[in-house]
Amino acid sequence: MLEETLVLFRNIRNPNYDKSLKGYKNAGGFMALKKALEMQPDEIVQLTKDSGLRGRGGAGFPTGLKWSFMAKGTGKPTYLVCNADESEPGTCKDRELMLHDPHQFLEGMMIGCLAIGCRHGYIYVRGEYWPSIKSLNAAVQELYDDGILGEKLMGTGPKLDLTVHTGAGAYICGEETALLDSIEGKRGHPRVKPPFPAVSGFNACPTTVNNVETLTCLPFIVNEGAEAFKAFGPENNAGTHLISLSGHVNTPGVYEVRLDANLKDIIYDLGGGIPDGKKLKGVIPGGASSSVLTADEVDVTYSFDALAQAGTMMGSAAIMVFDEDTDAVKLLHRIVRFFSHESCGQCTPCREGTHWARMIIRDFMDGNGNERKLKRLHRVGGNMMGTTVCALGDACGMPIQSFTTKFADEFREVQALAA
Amino acid sequence: MPTFHLDGQPVEFEPGEKVLSAALRAGVEVPHYCFHPGLSVVATCRMCLVDVVDMGNGRPMPKLQTSCSMDAVEGMKIETKNAKVLESREDVMEFLLINHPLDCPICDQSGECVLQDYSFDHGTGKSEMEYAKRVYGWRDIGTFVALERNRCIHCTRCDRFTREVTGTNEFGMFNRGHELTVDTYADRPMTNKFQGNMADLCPVGAITDKEFRFKRRVWRLKKTPSICTGCSTGCNMTIEYDKNEVFRLKPRENQAVNRWWMCDEGRLSYRVMNEREQRVMKPLGRVQGELQPISFEQAYQAIAERITALNPGAGGALVLSDTNASNEALFMLRKLAQDGLGAEQVFCPMPDWQQPDSDFFIDSLITTDKTPNRAGARELGLSGVADSTELDSALEANPKVVVILGNPFAEAAELREKLGKAQLIVVIGTLLNGWTEVADVVLPGRLHSEQDATFTNKQRRVQRTHVAVQAPRQTRPEWQILADLLAALGKGAGLDSADAVLQALAQEVPAFADLSLDGLTGAGALLPGEASDPGRSVVDTRTASA
Repeated sequence: MLEETLVLFRNIRNPNYDKSLKGYKNAGGFMALKKALEMQPDEIVQLTKDSGLRGRGGAGFPTGLKWSFMAKGTGKPTYLVCNADESEPGTCKDRELMLHDPHQFLEGMMIGCLAIGCRHGYIYVRGEYWPSIKSLNAAVQELYDDGILGEKLMGTGPKLDLTVHTGAGAYICGEETALLDSIEGKRGHPRVKPPFPAVSGFNACPTTVNNVETLTCLPFIVNEGAEAFKAFGPENNAGTHLISLSGHVNTPGVYEVRLDANLKDIIYDLGGGIPDGKKLKGVIPGGASSSVLTADEVDVTYSFDALAQAGTMMGSAAIMVFDEDTDAVKLLHRIVRFFSHESCGQCTPCREGTHWARMIIRDFMDGNGNERKLKRLHRVGGNMMGTTVCALGDACGMPIQSFTTKFADEFREVQALAA
Repeated sequence: MPTFHLDGQPVEFEPGEKVLSAALRAGVEVPHYCFHPGLSVVATCRMCLVDVVDMGNGRPMPKLQTSCSMDAVEGMKIETKNAKVLESREDVMEFLLINHPLDCPICDQSGECVLQDYSFDHGTGKSEMEYAKRVYGWRDIGTFVALERNRCIHCTRCDRFTREVTGTNEFGMFNRGHELTVDTYADRPMTNKFQGNMADLCPVGAITDKEFRFKRRVWRLKKTPSICTGCSTGCNMTIEYDKNEVFRLKPRENQAVNRWWMCDEGRLSYRVMNEREQRVMKPLGRVQGELQPISFEQAYQAIAERITALNPGAGGALVLSDTNASNEALFMLRKLAQDGLGAEQVFCPMPDWQQPDSDFFIDSLITTDKTPNRAGARELGLSGVADSTELDSALEANPKVVVILGNPFAEAAELREKLGKAQLIVVIGTLLNGWTEVADVVLPGRLHSEQDATFTNKQRRVQRTHVAVQAPRQTRPEWQILADLLAALGKGAGLDSADAVLQALAQEVPAFADLSLDGLTGAGALLPGEASDPGRSVVDTRTASA
């Protein structure tokens, strides 16, 4: 029986937890920040490297390594921007952290700022997350009132300000460079890389963009050490992970698991199985942009590496489960419709391809599909992949290619019905 | 210089240069839409994807890379024509064409359309798009350019132009994804003075020149390099004409003068090249108070006879010119004044002028000096006067002979009245004006589009024009008219071509030494020495607009 491993959620799972600054301090909060203030920035970076922490936003890039790429000696200020624009369909883990335990996240953010020498951090929150924004703003205000933030961090450290910035409801602004454009007040369009944000990011200054969950891991790492963090999960997949479990399961929600859990166990133990005893049809394991896994493929370890081997990805760890009655064509249409609506439109393949693919799938739904169109759909998906500035082209191409391969029979059935 | 290999050929590059720019400089065609050397790199059209088989360290790049945004690296090996690249180009072309209206037969860009060219070169000629195309409503965005958004391929060159080059920001991208489109903000018309460049930048027919629309298919146009004479900047341009009618002027790249740009006012100056109503078509002589057509020989003979009879000498002759005339014409005019008439000076109007200065280079193109050759006149030592009242001392001598080139002091009716009393007024010019009304003899000159001539711009850079269209038959270049007059006065120097005049000029004026018409190619020739023009003042347009 798979059970949760509580690290980030240890406060949240406590029914009596008071999320205010006082409550967080009582629960042992800000010990890590105090410790971090006594460390050199390089030590924090090295500690994070040693802990094996990988970014929780989707790409799984080692956080310590990312920090060490920051351009040094430029004479410009450096920035830490937290990506709280959680908009990958199915993902809702950061919302929980910001809503129910904002101080733990903010402490992590402050440690991150110390690590890269940032004096003004920005938190870019998804515009639709009103309760989270309110919770964060209240928490930041508490920190200023308490003198933790401001001219001297915790009374002894360097100056540090935090600003909560709200997005305006664009999926693409979750892409780090589009996010930076958006904070700067421009249209959120992903930038060409290089230069990477570590060299020229927010206001053309060295910038690191980290996910909420990534930063929230930091207090634990600083308090308990790198080895303790590494102890959760297998080699190269350190730490616990928040997964957003949704779809056809009895108990959907956000769960914290070690990265050696089996996907099947997650669905049947944590999720409580499929409602009405129906059979499993497939799982989208890492947000809408990951390749789908069929029922036969779900017996896989839920970790960065194992999922990559299975030809999909962990992404933002949003697991969407669907049962045998789900219409794969309709599901794909819904996914592609989302990406078509959210494409920023700057790159040719994504702008034209997402819409075209949507039209073709619409044809299948209307009973006008045929073998040629199925091939064409597959090809349009492929042509979008790896040919665009950001990963949205891939994000739309992957589900198209996996659905048209793994559920090709359903596409054919739809057209047979029409005939 | 470091080198990388493009399809096996070594290509040299400057450190920091992008692969695409180095390739284009080396003459290798890598198809591209959104890249323009004058604009920032966005790498969004995805047409310039190339295969990096070796990053310079022996390892290949896994994915195709946009050559416009990739730094060239020593020892890099790049393939632009392998199967992977060609297939990706086909795919991009297909994507671009699924929503393009393919209305080439009624599109003005047809013939110089990059989308059209690349469709032939890189497209498959087939499409499986079987759904309704994207359609936008028609929008009027102002007086100079027309916007046809259905044709747009979203390269954002126009958007970047208003943001980065003019800094006016009145044009931008709206909506997103499949519905992405270009438009002006808040339904306002375009306001910048360089809109024509947006039509040049547009690789397709989405933005076209209203002045040129529906007038001539571009493949009929013949092209001759020239320079704009609309102001003292002297932007390099190409005169495009068919059947002796000029249809449009397009900027020609010259990094030292106008980079890639040209102002709308300059573009509209093509109209005067086609002017026939106001044009002096043949020599005119005043017979019983009326100007009547005469022949050049009659005119020369009459003028020579009168001058000999009047024997003006110093103070008896007044020579005026404007600074629209070429270096050659001004030189010959000076010669006529000194050798033929015995006048000491040639006067020309040189009012104070302003050179704008701002963060945006393009603003510096439009100066308030609307003549192309003020610097040339200064080099030749002509006497510049700020306004006509400064001529009063010269008028006190009651000049008997007045020779006028062009239309100097056009607004000074009083001056015209005073000079009207002179016994002989000779006007050399291209258009009828106030001076031709009081002239005894009018000699028809030629426009810069009709002759080989040189002009000296505000930087003291000598640039040349070429014969583009044929001038009306009974006109002659000004230098030739002046040389003929000198010959008629018995002072001919045997200068029988524009080049001969320029070389005589080069001998007499040291700054012009060694210049010849054929030698003036490329960026032109900057005259040696320091520029000094007391009438010039720099205006900071940043403060003016703030």
